[in-house]
Order: sequence, then C-alpha cells, then structure tokens
Amino acid sequence: MLQAYWYITKMRMLTNLAYRFEVFTSVGTNLIIMLASVFLWQTAYGGGIGNVQSLSLQDLTTYTILSIILSSMFVCDVQNTIYYKIREGQIVTDFYRPIPLLACYLADDIGGSLSSLANKALPLIVFASLFFGIPWPSFLLNFLLFIPSCLLSYGILWLLSALVGLIAFWVMELGNMGMVKDSIVRVLSGSIVPLWFFPESVQTVSKFLPFQYTYQTPLGIYIGNIGTKEALTALAVQAVWVILLFLLLAAGWKRTKKKTLIQGG
Amino acid sequence: MKETVIEVNNLVKEYMITKKESGLRGSLKSLLFPKKTIVNGVDGISFSIGKGEIVGYIGPNGAGKSTTIKMLTGILHPTSGSIKVCGISPQADRKSVVRKLGVVFGQRTQLYWDLRLGESFELLRRIYQIDMTAYEETLAILRDVLKLDEFMDTPVRQLSLGQRMRGDLAAAMLHAPSVLFLDEPTIGLDADAKHAIRNFIKEINRTRGVTVILTTHDLDDVEQLCNRLVVVNHGKIVEDGPIDTIIHKLAPYRLLVVELKQPCEDLVHPAATIIKQDGLKIWYQFEKKRIFAAELISDLSQKLPIQDLSVKEPDIEDAIREVYKTTSAV
Repeated sequence: MLQAYWYITKMRMLTNLAYRFEVFTSVGTNLIIMLASVFLWQTAYGGGIGNVQSLSLQDLTTYTILSIILSSMFVCDVQNTIYYKIREGQIVTDFYRPIPLLACYLADDIGGSLSSLANKALPLIVFASLFFGIPWPSFLLNFLLFIPSCLLSYGILWLLSALVGLIAFWVMELGNMGMVKDSIVRVLSGSIVPLWFFPESVQTVSKFLPFQYTYQTPLGIYIGNIGTKEALTALAVQAVWVILLFLLLAAGWKRTKKKTLIQGG
Repeated sequence: MKETVIEVNNLVKEYMITKKESGLRGSLKSLLFPKKTIVNGVDGISFSIGKGEIVGYIGPNGAGKSTTIKMLTGILHPTSGSIKVCGISPQADRKSVVRKLGVVFGQRTQLYWDLRLGESFELLRRIYQIDMTAYEETLAILRDVLKLDEFMDTPVRQLSLGQRMRGDLAAAMLHAPSVLFLDEPTIGLDADAKHAIRNFIKEINRTRGVTVILTTHDLDDVEQLCNRLVVVNHGKIVEDGPIDTIIHKLAPYRLLVVELKQPCEDLVHPAATIIKQDGLKIWYQFEKKRIFAAELISDLSQKLPIQDLSVKEPDIEDAIREVYKTTSAV
C-alpha cells in the first residue's frame, strides 16, 4: 500500500517537473508579490514608525520572503481535485479501487509540494537573496524548530482543504467556497501581514482559530519573534489542531461516504 | 450445477427526486418547500449469474442498468434486497469485493491522465498489491491480445479513444478479477477497435473463465458475445434467457421478400400478411409456427411469376425494439 502512495508522490513530482511554463509563471508572480510587499514594508518603516512590536525591518523582510516561499510550496489541491472529480463523475472510478482515496490525494499533493520545493521555492530563495540578502534564521535552533512547524502547518492547511472538498459531495456546486476559504486563510494566517499588527480583538479571536498556526507560527519561530519555549507550545497547539481537523475530516468523510453510497450522490 | 458468481435477490433502489417548478415563483417555492417524490430506479430485480457466463444486460436509457451495476460493485447501497458477489455482500465489504472485480466504463477512464499507460499499470499493480511474477505474466498476455506495445509509453491524455479503451480493459484485468463489468465498452469506437475488444472479451472468458456482465446499446456486441440476455425496462426485468429464445419469443415473425417479373393482381396468401409493397417488390410477414418458408414459397410461386426472393430472420434489434415497445406501455 505504501508503495502505491510513494509511486503517486513520485509520479506527481516527475510530471510537475516536466511542466516548465507553469513554473515560470508561478515564480514570476510570486517574485512580483514578494518585491511589492517588501517595498511596502520598507516605505512603512522609512516613514519613521520605528520598530513596531520589536519587529525590525529586516525581520519583516525575512518574514515576507519566507511567507511567499512557503505559500508556493504548500500544495493543497485536494479541494479542487474532489470538486472536478465529482463534477465529471470521475470519482466513481476512485471508489472502485481498494485504497482510501483521500490518502491518494494527499500523496498526490505531497508530490506537488516536493516538486515545488525544487522548481519554485529554490529559484525564489535565490532571487530573494540577490535582492535583499540571504534571509537567515535568527538562530540555528529556530531553524530546527521551523521545519517541524512547517510540516504541521501543511497538515492543517491540507486538512482544511480536504474539508472544503467534502462539501462538494453535498452541494455538487462548490462555486467560490474554495476561494472564500483561501482568502480567509490568507488574511487570518498572517501570511500577508502578521497578525501582530492587527487589533487586539482580532488577535484574541485568532488564537482559537486554526489559521494563524499555518503561517504565522513557523515564520514567527524562524525570525525569532516566538521564543524557544513559546515555540514548543506553538508546536503543540499546531499538533492539537492537526488532530482535531483530522478527526473532523474522518467523521465527515465517513458520513459523506455513507450518504454518497446510499443516495447515489 | 455451475458455481454461482452473482446472486441478486429482489433488489430495489429508490431515489428521492426534488421536483422543480418553473418560473421565479416556482423556484422560490421549491427552494422553501421542496416537493420530493420517490422514484424506483430499480424495482425488484432478481437474477443469478454462473461462473464463466457472458451476460448482456440491456435496456433503454434510464432503465436502471447503471444503477444495478453500481449496486453490484458496491458503490451504491440498495434500498432493499440482497446482493452476493463471489459470496460476499459488496455493501458490507466493498474493499474485498472490488478486488475481485474489474470495471470498465466506456465513457470514463480509470487510467491516470498525466501518466504514461505503462506507469498507470505500475500504479495499479501497487494499489492492488499484485505479485510481480503474476503481474508480468498477465501483462504479457494483455500486451499481446490488446496490442498495447505501440502506445505503452504514450501519456494517457494523448491516446486515441480506441487505444484508451484497450488500455482501460487491460487496467481492469491486471489484478486478475473473476468478474468483469463492462459498461458500454464499444461506445464511439471504429469497427476495427470494436472487433479487437470483442475478441479480447471472448479470449479472457475462454482462457480465464472470467464472468462478464456487459451493458451496451450496440446489439452487435450482444449478438457476438453473450450467451444470455437480461433485458430491463422501468427498473424491472422483462426478459431473461438465451438470445435465440428471446428472439423467437419476441419476434416470431419472419419476412419473405419477393420480386415479381410483372405486376400481378392476386397477391394474398392466407398464412401471411403483406406488410409492404414497392413496385414489383412485396414483403410478406409470416409466423414460423403457422407456415414454413418452403410451403409459403411453393404456394406463392404457383400463382405468381417470381423472379427473386429472400427470407429474412428477425434480428436481435427487432426483438429488443419489441420489448421496449411493449413494456413502455405499462
């Protein structure tokens, strides 16, 4: 079984590496966003605001660059995969296989993420280093904590995407649900502007939502804005979210499957 | 008595259908108070299929064919009734049933769009955890019978329909299933590809004893492949039996086409009816039970100057049209 997942991951990597045009456009757009955001921070800080919440301009530059690199790597196509498969009736053929289909989609997305690491994240790091210097982590220890935190972030993002995908089974027409979710994630995860700049109330509410643990947590750890002790707590919170969302997905999937099988979708 | 592979008992599948009313007022009304009606997609079907049979499962569009296939393969639960495939209920244990099944949809592919054909097969090998030697053995046969070699390394999205279909058949056979479900396997294919696919079906049935259940609208498929026919309409089985019997029962008429040398007055024969007349050509319809062709011909040739004649057997198409016609009135 594992062999099959690994093969899916591998084949996704190989196919993605073969698409060159997509890589150019993706690296291109991400680079433009990166430059624009960094210049924005530079202008904001140039206006004499000084360090906000003990974040220096250098911190924010690193934060922004890495945020964009992470977003190019976190491939969560599962919601679209499910949506298209349902719309085209292709989902049926997946049910005929003696293998859990969500796990297959996860293997597929992991393949996409790994290929993005090579053909999107690496070029972005090179360009970013050329323009703004290498975005070093604050300490080596932070970097070591950053890696598992990223993995947990990916887990949260993927599970959220899969949950949205499940809705497609019920409503047939997903419409803009995916985009709405993506926008919420983008804002509340702190991927564009860290939540530390948001009003107190938003920050309080966000503590109880999964979103900020997807970008802000690993990035905060990386730039050292989250201390080692806090980082460990943050990792634990991330893990709790992964478990919660996983249980939610498992329960939702069970019900969805039952409904599909009984009502014929 | 042959071993039973599929056993279906009093299968019923009800669908909830929300009736939409027309107009703005109507759609608002159905949004707030949806009017639900229950429709019987499949209405009390029972049959059993023995090992090694090739069964044609036919019926007009919307007769409940696909619904039945879906229930047999476990991806749909029946409202009531029981199903046993290889002794297992597909609803209770879908995963072990699908291991024994091969399923091919003419309109859909189970191959992986981005992968080459060979890579799709390799992935399936891993999913079904097929032993390497068995896999290679099966694949060698499939490559040979379906002539896959020319496009094994072509990405699936670039395959022609005929090639893709052959690829799909191979994919469905890789894990050596004991039952093969084919849903319109020859739809949209050219004569050559159809021929190849029919040959393949016969071949695996003969050499591996695979039970085949085939739904199709192409009656040539049925005539050339199936030894048994199950005809459904409106969710009920209307005929079940060997093809010849069904034809005889439903279309007992034969046709005698006579071409005369010159026009004649007295054309009638007591045992036959004239159904069509076109210049010197006359079509007589007669029942096998009432009169033999030889008698009719000799009777007619005594009074008519016959130049040419031919006898037409009713074909499967007539029989099936007859079934659809008679049952749609119910």
